[in-house]
Amino acid sequence: MAQHQVNYLKDGGLPVALTTIDKVVNWGRSNSLWALTYGLACCGIEMMASGASRYDFDRFGTIFRASPRQAELMIVAGTLTKKHAEFIRRLYDQMTEPKWVISMGSCANTGGMFNTYATVQGVDRVIPVDLYLPGCAPRPETLQYGVMMLQQKIRRESASRAQKPKRLL
Amino acid sequence: MRAYTPKDNVQAKPYYTDRFWVAPQVAKHDVSSDAVFESDLNALKSKFEILDAYIQVEQMVVVINAADNFAVLDMLKNSLQYNQLSEMSAIDWLAKEGKFEIFYQMLSMSKRKRLRIKCKIDEKESIQSVEKLFRCADWSEREMYDMFGVVVNNHPFMKRILMPDDWEGFPLRKTYPLQGDEFAAWYEVDKIFGKEAREIIGPENRDPARIDRYDTERFARLGHEVPRGVDITNGEPDTPLVYQEKNGAFLITKFDPETSVTITDRNR
Amino acid sequence: MQQPNRLRPFFENITFDREDNELILNFGPQHPSAHGQLRLMLHMQQEQITKAHPDVGYLHRGMEKMAENMIYNEFMPTTDRMDYIASSSNNYGFALAVERLIGLEVPRRAKVIRMMLLETNRLMSHLFWLATTALDIGAMTVFLYAFREREYLMDLIEDYCGARLTHSAVRIGGVPLDLPDNFIGDLRTFLDKLPANIKDYEDLLDQNRIWLMRMENVGVISKEMALSWGCSGVMLRASGIEWDIRKEEPYELYDEVEFSVPVSDKGDNYARYKLYMEEMRQSAKILEQVIDMYAGTDGALMAHAPQYISAPKLDIMTQNYSLMQHFVLVTQGMRPPVGEVYIPTESPKGELGYYINSQGDAYPYRLKLRAPSFWHTGILTDLLPGHYIPDVVSIIGTTNIVFGEVDR
Repeated sequence: MAQHQVNYLKDGGLPVALTTIDKVVNWGRSNSLWALTYGLACCGIEMMASGASRYDFDRFGTIFRASPRQAELMIVAGTLTKKHAEFIRRLYDQMTEPKWVISMGSCANTGGMFNTYATVQGVDRVIPVDLYLPGCAPRPETLQYGVMMLQQKIRRESASRAQKPKRLL
Repeated sequence: MRAYTPKDNVQAKPYYTDRFWVAPQVAKHDVSSDAVFESDLNALKSKFEILDAYIQVEQMVVVINAADNFAVLDMLKNSLQYNQLSEMSAIDWLAKEGKFEIFYQMLSMSKRKRLRIKCKIDEKESIQSVEKLFRCADWSEREMYDMFGVVVNNHPFMKRILMPDDWEGFPLRKTYPLQGDEFAAWYEVDKIFGKEAREIIGPENRDPARIDRYDTERFARLGHEVPRGVDITNGEPDTPLVYQEKNGAFLITKFDPETSVTITDRNR
Repeated sequence: MQQPNRLRPFFENITFDREDNELILNFGPQHPSAHGQLRLMLHMQQEQITKAHPDVGYLHRGMEKMAENMIYNEFMPTTDRMDYIASSSNNYGFALAVERLIGLEVPRRAKVIRMMLLETNRLMSHLFWLATTALDIGAMTVFLYAFREREYLMDLIEDYCGARLTHSAVRIGGVPLDLPDNFIGDLRTFLDKLPANIKDYEDLLDQNRIWLMRMENVGVISKEMALSWGCSGVMLRASGIEWDIRKEEPYELYDEVEFSVPVSDKGDNYARYKLYMEEMRQSAKILEQVIDMYAGTDGALMAHAPQYISAPKLDIMTQNYSLMQHFVLVTQGMRPPVGEVYIPTESPKGELGYYINSQGDAYPYRLKLRAPSFWHTGILTDLLPGHYIPDVVSIIGTTNIVFGEVDR
């Protein structure tokens, strides 16, 4: 019998794990959430901070991508104005399924303190949102906690469910 | 009877007004108190009609006729060393006297002086562009047009700058409400989904005082009073603060504080 | 509009005109290296830009309109969201404008604390500028290093006012709080390390071939152009005009501290980069001097002007009249005298001015925010033509524009 580097018969037996497709797919999805760099205003700075040295987002598998085609998570960080609204919708449509949206900060949630003519009162008027983060601006810890919540949500979902396009209309 | 709200100024009003309140004035000094300003003013006076001039908070204010604006700024730039236009914009006095006031904030670096040129125009009147003198007026005048609807003559590109091209109304006029008109309220819905989607999406929630009916900590429920802090969620589960699922996530080990190192020295 | 088919890919943001070989490229409004929501319509001959048309307003939130509907103190948190990289400098500019309008004199300790806040904010802003510009040009390491230092500064500010980004740390008439016990010590520790850190960045960038190629002789702004476009701050000083409002029209304690204003006559990206680095050193120098000033001040933090400013918390809690006054000032707001004022301050980006027209009401009749970035974006119209596509990114980087401020 050939000598292998790893003795499969010792230390817990054969390298076989029994699981479901759902679990494997969701494990992959939840741990490689690539986010679109969607810094609109002040929250975008905190989003950058969470990607930078101290908070280090990479350890969650969250890497910021500049192209919507490579991203599956849109973190809407900042005030969405009426002038910008059509572009956020277009970029959301360009993202490939499955996709999730985090609305970061009060402005993105409800319009926040900018209760004015120029601000969209909550991005959920334009795109469907999975998670709302409170704060003005939310700290990087909040964003990371939010992403972990989203990971939980993804793991709970059925993997094939996400194939259904999720649309506001 | 409903209280009368004037239509020509829909901005917020103090809910309490003191009838006997006489507002104090910021002191206006005579221009002769400052030698530099006085000589500048005399130079201007020799060529143009000066309606008013005074010094307020260390800056001279000169009121001129709106038709002279280009010539006055030309003189300030080329012979009086006011080499930068820091700011220009308009003030809406339509409710009071039917006019816009336009101000040009000038800076002279060699004299270390700032002065403000002001002029008034009627609502339908337009004003001469100073873009040929100061390139920055290009954008300022566009902003003024965008916000007030003041048309500027001889401007190379008289388009809206801050608001979208297809916007209706001029936001900084006193007749324009802070939270926008009907057009503004549906702008993004109309543009992205079309007018027929209005019913599906519904109106904006503009009420900053909207309350959560299940929150008994911060809000009283008028007519349905319950003791403070009582749970009225009807068995809807609360979301506890957890970082991972109860039985752990698939293939992910939990963070173990025992085996980790806390870094205290930055230069380790 | 191009018709998509199998052989020709469809790029919706590029129009290609076969007749005169002109390409129109749409850059933004959501572009990772546009530092926010800048949209540029670039007309190009091959790679060279012939005409640039910046389109702003994607972050216009109506702050000037908000100001007309708010009492003066209520507007303070809104100013945070203008230049959100250095919020305290916006707070300060507004507070100073209102104080000059009323004619208030601020206690010395408040001035010292304000100076500390202003300069730490300047350091934060410059570090952020360095990080993002370096990242756009491809120097990821500098991004990580500069953010590391910035986090220490944010901790300091957080110790003072509780917020990382949107400080609201200045009040009209003074500052709300005294410094926490550890603040001075922590600031000193930071300042001790800062020179070495700045040297690290310079070692990485100064002689870096790629950095030099992207920065040197790119985006040259002439003196006349800078003046005509209303440039201020580093954009102006890099073009050879020595004008720093802290020096020329000193406010707070800037006439008591010793610092120099770096100037360059090159006007290109590299000159601006060098000035930012030098300004960080000067800020550190100012901070060192201000720390020493702190000890000699007495405890008053807010100006005494019962008509406009609430009494200290202790008086409000113990004296009936102060409580009544506080109530009136909070619910109805202060009513400054009738008049108008334009007060410029030197924010990290340039000349930040507040024009306030008061009609003696609790709400300003008109408030115009003179934000430096607005014109620093405008200058792209004249600056970009003649440059190549990669230069666009480095030029936008060194103009140091922030869109909360451009669009307001």
